[in-house]
Amino acid sequence: MSANIRKVWVEVVCVLLCSSLSGVCSAPLCMNGQNGCHILSLSDLFDRVIQHSARMHGISNDLHSEFEQYFLPSKNQIGRVSRNCHTSTILTPNGKENAQRMARQELTEVILKLLLAWRDPLWHFHQSMAHHPDFNKFSSNKALEMSDMAHELRKGVEKVAEKMQMLGIISNSVSSLASPEAPLPANGHKWRLMKDYDLLYCFRRDSNKVQNYLKILKCRIVPEHGC
Amino acid sequence: MMKTSAEVNLLLLLLVFTLHVKGMRYSPPGKPALTRCRSPEKETFTCWWESGSDGGLPTTHALFYRKENSEAVYECPDYRTAGENSCFFNKNNTSIWVSYNITVVASNALGSTFSDPVDIDVVYIVKPNHPEMVTVTVLEDKGWPFLRVSWEPPHKADTRSGWITLIYELRVKLEEENDWEMHLAGQQKMFNIFSLRSGGTYLVQVRCKPDHGFWSEWSSTSYIKVPDYIQREKPMWVLITCFCAFIFLILTWLLHMNGHSLKDFILPPVPGPKIRGFDKQLLKNGKSDEIFSSLVVSGFPPTTSPNCEDLLVEYLEVYVPEEQELMEESKDLHDICLKSEGCTSDSDSGRGSCDSHTLLMDKFREAKEEKRQRDQEKSRTGTEDQRQQKDWEEEGLTYAYEDMVSPNISSGRVETWPSLFSPLPQYSSSRHSQKSSLEKAKKHCFSDSLFPPGSTSFSLDQGGQTTMEAIRSSNREFSLRIKQPHLLHSHTQARCQLQAHSEVNISSIGCKQALGGLRSPAPHSAEYVEVQRVNEENTVLLQPVESGHGHIDGCSQLPLGKDYSRVQGVDRYNRLLLKGEVPQEGDCLYDYQDMTGDGTENCYTSSSVPSIQKPTACIHTVIMGHDEMVLAENGYIDTLTARTLPNY
Repeated sequence: MSANIRKVWVEVVCVLLCSSLSGVCSAPLCMNGQNGCHILSLSDLFDRVIQHSARMHGISNDLHSEFEQYFLPSKNQIGRVSRNCHTSTILTPNGKENAQRMARQELTEVILKLLLAWRDPLWHFHQSMAHHPDFNKFSSNKALEMSDMAHELRKGVEKVAEKMQMLGIISNSVSSLASPEAPLPANGHKWRLMKDYDLLYCFRRDSNKVQNYLKILKCRIVPEHGC
Repeated sequence: MMKTSAEVNLLLLLLVFTLHVKGMRYSPPGKPALTRCRSPEKETFTCWWESGSDGGLPTTHALFYRKENSEAVYECPDYRTAGENSCFFNKNNTSIWVSYNITVVASNALGSTFSDPVDIDVVYIVKPNHPEMVTVTVLEDKGWPFLRVSWEPPHKADTRSGWITLIYELRVKLEEENDWEMHLAGQQKMFNIFSLRSGGTYLVQVRCKPDHGFWSEWSSTSYIKVPDYIQREKPMWVLITCFCAFIFLILTWLLHMNGHSLKDFILPPVPGPKIRGFDKQLLKNGKSDEIFSSLVVSGFPPTTSPNCEDLLVEYLEVYVPEEQELMEESKDLHDICLKSEGCTSDSDSGRGSCDSHTLLMDKFREAKEEKRQRDQEKSRTGTEDQRQQKDWEEEGLTYAYEDMVSPNISSGRVETWPSLFSPLPQYSSSRHSQKSSLEKAKKHCFSDSLFPPGSTSFSLDQGGQTTMEAIRSSNREFSLRIKQPHLLHSHTQARCQLQAHSEVNISSIGCKQALGGLRSPAPHSAEYVEVQRVNEENTVLLQPVESGHGHIDGCSQLPLGKDYSRVQGVDRYNRLLLKGEVPQEGDCLYDYQDMTGDGTENCYTSSSVPSIQKPTACIHTVIMGHDEMVLAENGYIDTLTARTLPNY
């Protein structure tokens, strides 16, 4: 009887250990290049996310051109200039010098903020496009792809940030922002008031910002190739 | 105040009046328009506009802009840097990812006009400068040259910090061509071009574009000359190879065209069996009945022919020929001469049936030739055509006859002429003019010699005896040697049958012989003659038969009618055709016996040549038989049939 209880205890302990270790299991399987595992360098990671962001921006550009064909919003509208993207509260550098002056960590945070801010709006944009009678399925698929890519890009940038943290390039404060439990910005629900076209216009710009910031980061941190 | 307003109005009126007096119209300026805005490096940008009509008054332009989410209106900070009608925004005034609302205003004394506003975002109006420092060099890769083009981005565009990402494109062309060859180089700043023309000069240009923007202008042209890397010797070898290939092709073609004849030359075809009337296809079909049925000639052997005794001719039927018939000799001579000339060898491999026909013709020609020569030697006077014809006919008759049946003393045996003569019905041709036909016939008969290489010799004795040998190379031909029968003298009453092979076809010339001692008992009636013998002068002695088979010796019965002493020919029914002539004194069988060749000659020459009508007029039967050595009483014929005349 005591032997059985012992066995049960051992099993319980093992289960507990395994469960506690499950949190750590999300860590990469490959540690420090052991067992012939190919570790992606930071440069490779950056190249991947930059390509990803370029593709995302390309899709948003195409959708925007389609919107302009269908809607052709008048350029003479007075209220057009007062368009206000919901991400305008996020402080983003508007010039090269400003971007270069910004610290890597800040820049990484800006990127992550932007990508996070667009997670929900893009999903709803896709939903509205799918139900819109004017758009064909091709456009709604693009919207869905765009939404997925934004999500993937965010994940990728988080990985890059992790890598940089590991390398000691940036501090650890970025990781807190990446968690899904992070609180949304103050005007996070402002986007619901925006029309689809304005959403697209804003996202097109923001995706360009993300791409550009990533490039700047890359050329500042790992300037070997293509800089 | 009223006064001032009135003054103002007055002044305005005056102004308008003066302007009107001057004859010009003034108006507010026309509407300007912003043509384009460009940023070379995404840090500054420039806008250009064009003005409308100025309205006749000096007009000024101003550019105002408003930034996104701001109500403040700013005027253009720099009108000069970029040139006329332009506005330059420097770095401090440029914000990226910010929407600008730009308007141009044109104003003159009478008013101002606003242009349409334009919203721009600097990010999307980037048009960089062209790439700089384009260098082209020629490098070698295993002996083959290639171009390496390298360049630098425009110095203003900051690609090092990653602010701008540029992609490049270059184009290449040969100096003498018109079409450019485009190459997209991506983000790299170096490019290789292969497959160059040896010794050619190339032009290279490069341009760039940001990932979202406009293409730059093409860079300045770079010239590069490729050295001659193809050696001079190679074209010569290529030429030689092509030439040889060409010659080879021609030879092959010639061989193909003449292959058949070449094959025949090397391997001559074996002649196959050729039987007249024989169809080879039947042989291939393999039905023996059909094959052999084709070989069977209907009518031979003559099943319906009369019994053998009928074939045996005991006597000759002589029809009374008329004078005109003799004249037809010439025509027939001509016909037969021509016929032999025209007779070419048929498709048979041998020279059978035709040769037999020509054989006698050739002999006749030579006989005539020699006879002719003899006459000339004796210097006959009188070259009348008529006389010539007569002589010719006489000679022809003479020698033809001699050819046929005259015995030859020297050689000692006589052979007949099987299948050598054409059938008699050929005589029955239309009348031709005597002279022309004769002369023509003469030409034919005397001119060419159709003698085979086997040689035909023809000798003539003084005595008129002819020795003739005709040796033919073909195995189907027969040689005829006529010799003088030794026993001629002793058998005065010997009747010789003119016996020939069953296939003997005696030509008309051959048959035209002077027969000695032929007497026709009565004119215009069929008379029977017997072949008595052949005398030493090689003449067939015929004896007329009266009322049956009785024979009459010698000249006991002088015929009152014509003298049938000449064999005209043999018709196809194997009958001797004799022609009659007016008998002369002294024409006597017995005379013939003792007479020498001269006598016979006299006989021949003295008698007139009667004309011959249709050959049907004189029809004689000739004994036919098979090959058997016959030594008749006078023993002069070798291959005559073995049939003997009864009761001679």
